[in-house]
Amino acid sequence: MMIPEVTVAAVLLVGFLAALFVHDWTTRARNRRLLYVQLAVFVAGGLLILFPEIARRLAHLVGIGRGVDFVIYPTVIWLVRESLLSRRRRREEEERLTELVRAIAIERAQTVSRALR
Amino acid sequence: MRIAILMPAYDEGERLSETLRDLEAQAAGGGHRITVFVVDDGSVPPIESAVVSNTDGVALRVVLARHPVNLGQGAAIETARRLALDPRWDDAFDAYVTMDSDGQHRAEDAVAVATAIVGGADVALGDRFAGESDVPASRRLLLRLARVFERWTTGLVLSDAHNGLRAFGRRAIVQMRLRQNRMAHATELTRRISMASREKPLRLVEVPVSVRYTKATLAKGQTAGGAVAILVDLFQGFLFGEPR
Repeated sequence: MMIPEVTVAAVLLVGFLAALFVHDWTTRARNRRLLYVQLAVFVAGGLLILFPEIARRLAHLVGIGRGVDFVIYPTVIWLVRESLLSRRRRREEEERLTELVRAIAIERAQTVSRALR
Repeated sequence: MRIAILMPAYDEGERLSETLRDLEAQAAGGGHRITVFVVDDGSVPPIESAVVSNTDGVALRVVLARHPVNLGQGAAIETARRLALDPRWDDAFDAYVTMDSDGQHRAEDAVAVATAIVGGADVALGDRFAGESDVPASRRLLLRLARVFERWTTGLVLSDAHNGLRAFGRRAIVQMRLRQNRMAHATELTRRISMASREKPLRLVEVPVSVRYTKATLAKGQTAGGAVAILVDLFQGFLFGEPR
């Protein structure tokens, strides 16, 4: 039987997760399905925080030294990928906006000088 | 000569008017027909038609297009390029010249680069180091660095790769599609020239030109911080695909 490790950091982090969830639950009540997914992720996160032994054992099982690293490595990989994807999306959006703005400009272009009209 | 001038403009007024008047004088004096494609890149307030329509002669035609929002100089040049190739105005131009609207470039130099095209070149690039420009020391250093970078990434050895005054012949201009919206377009252009030369070499010449530096134009020009932004844009272009 594992015993929860209630440190100051654990209390603050779990409190933060709970506050975030309450906030989203009250302000984004429309998309319930997303909120349930979020709840599952948060509960898993909370368990990992309160019972570091879970991550520690899983880490040792796959040959990683610390439990924290077991959580951080995949998170970093996911964040980097996410940041690259969003940069690419932004660039694609920009290209679309450019073509739209250009089409409007070309459509409305006019000869403004008096000569050679 | 029939010359198309591609001219991006952002928050310009009197200086743009003056540039157009100079061009008109050149056109009238040399017996040329010049069409200027002015692209207002989302200026606030928009550049008024009066600013660009004050020319009165028969030698200069001005076409004005407006980006509803600001996109950047590269995007404005690309819009001007598409306009110049648009059948509405396509006049079988002898040369397509990119030129600044702020008075940095002289009208006679614009005609000079165009003349090089009629003389048989596909691409004529203005070279401010060979002309009588008083390039400030800091700007000179930045431009030298840009040149080394250019040589390294494109293999083209150019004296003044980032000069905005250039001319293209028909065969070259159709291949100069710009996808870099902001200041990285100059590097993109160099790369396009080098890529287009792979199939059939483009004849490239450099023409001495003068660039007038004033406090106002320097404030609008490139800085070292801007150079970092250019590198970031280029890297993103490299990552997410650029020339097609």
